[in-house]
Amino acid sequence: MRLALWWLGRAVSAAATLLGVSILIFAAVRMMPGGFAETILGPFATADQKAELADRYGLDQSVFVQYGHWLAAVARGDFGVSMISREPVVSELWARLPVTGQLTLFSVLIATLVGVPLGVLTAVRARRAAVGRLLSGLGVSVPEFVLGSLVVFLFSRYALGLPAGGYDNVRSLVLPSLVLSFFAISITARTTRDAVMGVLVEPYVTAAVARGESPWFIIRHHVLRNAAIPVVTLLATITAYLLGGALIVEYVFNLPGIGSYVVQAVGRRDYAVVQAGVLLAATVFIVLNLLVDLVVGLIDPRLGVTSKGRRA
Amino acid sequence: MKDWLTRAGMVCLGLIVLVALASVVNLAGDPDEIVGPRLAPPGPGYWLGTDNLGRSMLPRIMEGIATTLLLSSVAVLVTAALSAVLGIVAGYRGGVVNELIMRLVEVLYSFPAIVLAILVAAVFGPGQLAALASIVLVTIPLMTRLVRAAAVGVAQRDYVTAAIISGARLPRILGRHLLPNVAGTIAVQVTYALSVGIAVEGGLSFLGFGVQPPQASLGVLIQQGTTYMTAAPWMITGPGVVFVVAVLAINVVGDGLRDRFEPRQARSLV
Repeated sequence: MRLALWWLGRAVSAAATLLGVSILIFAAVRMMPGGFAETILGPFATADQKAELADRYGLDQSVFVQYGHWLAAVARGDFGVSMISREPVVSELWARLPVTGQLTLFSVLIATLVGVPLGVLTAVRARRAAVGRLLSGLGVSVPEFVLGSLVVFLFSRYALGLPAGGYDNVRSLVLPSLVLSFFAISITARTTRDAVMGVLVEPYVTAAVARGESPWFIIRHHVLRNAAIPVVTLLATITAYLLGGALIVEYVFNLPGIGSYVVQAVGRRDYAVVQAGVLLAATVFIVLNLLVDLVVGLIDPRLGVTSKGRRA
Repeated sequence: MKDWLTRAGMVCLGLIVLVALASVVNLAGDPDEIVGPRLAPPGPGYWLGTDNLGRSMLPRIMEGIATTLLLSSVAVLVTAALSAVLGIVAGYRGGVVNELIMRLVEVLYSFPAIVLAILVAAVFGPGQLAALASIVLVTIPLMTRLVRAAAVGVAQRDYVTAAIISGARLPRILGRHLLPNVAGTIAVQVTYALSVGIAVEGGLSFLGFGVQPPQASLGVLIQQGTTYMTAAPWMITGPGVVFVVAVLAINVVGDGLRDRFEPRQARSLV
């Protein structure tokens, strides 16, 4: 019962955040050069179109009413029309979703499958801490655009057997996913390492060592389960990183995904697309965090009984 | 600090700052001057080669370091000031104020860094201001949260209660009693925020929405480098290596600071 209440609280909180996000984006669109009508319709709109838009969004009314109209339209999935293609923004984004979705999904998988074992390993072998720190630090410090450009260069110049640029099929996503996950692997490894190190100094691990249990038994039975929560929480954060990174990786590899589309849109001042893309990214992040909260609530029974909600 | 990694990071960081200072007085030459043929490999007169316009890469990289470092540092200082105020007030006052500030922070936290930066660039138009504002908005959430968490702990200490009882006013309590005790947290986070700032500047300028050519920044140089990667690999090597070393050095120093201010125990199982 308490757990259900806690979940409800999280959901309400997520909804409030989403509302804040929408206000921020609405304000940003208002502040963009050229005004709202130009932003949505483009510079070549006719007076009729502007009148129709003014009527639909209530542009002659107070800013609060305007926000209400805008929010209602967004909630219906109406993000306006791309000023370049003249197609509804939603269908433009929908067509590009598979590429971005697959790219992000593959990268999350790679990051988890490589990063978690790596983190456990570097935590357990604390004597080599400096090496682990250097390696994971390197992963965080090499930006996607440098690594991506390097990979594109190598694979396009020396014909190494994998497509580096453009999109034909899933094979085209192998290199971009690897590049994108490079960063995520080090973050995952780092967080796992910190979590595992935190558990390793717990008294019950000392007790297990004293009982003569083997290191890997201790890791499997005592450490991993207790270190799981920060790692699961991390997955949501990682996905946000990856959504941002996907934007640059898609741009570098010339993939027809949402990210590269939004980058193009900023350059072309196609603000309806920018607005929708940014809102989509923030929404995905918030929803994922909410889902992770639900999962964490299931893993960690302590959460249901504290009154403060999330542990510090 | 005993560990060699942190010390090495500090040395690297010191060198980078020195190079940035040297570029202010054009120690290695004018970054905008055309000194040789286009896309020339490293040679006398242009030790790191020339770019697509025949400008020497060495002074350009130095200018790039200075631009990126200055931009990120200013932005991070703004973040530190804002986060200190927001975090301390939220942590000390609690209640509605805390709820409002944390909600605002949560909203900013919901955007992936580069996505938020792109939104900012769309509002302000591409340029240094967009890069600066992006770095501030991207780094504020985490720092404010951590400062608040630290401030909540400090606010319940006896000396704060004593200060309240002795009639100290709010600014004095926040400035004299809370701020010094969350300064360690701020110092650690400033270091990390600096590396985030460099990454955001790099990413935004790489996409063409940050620092605008002909001014050099690390992001601008890397972007130009990728265009001519086949013909002139030296155009990307220098800026790329400097970028990675800078971010790595800052992160390593940040880790060192964190271990010092928030020491953790470690156990070796194997």
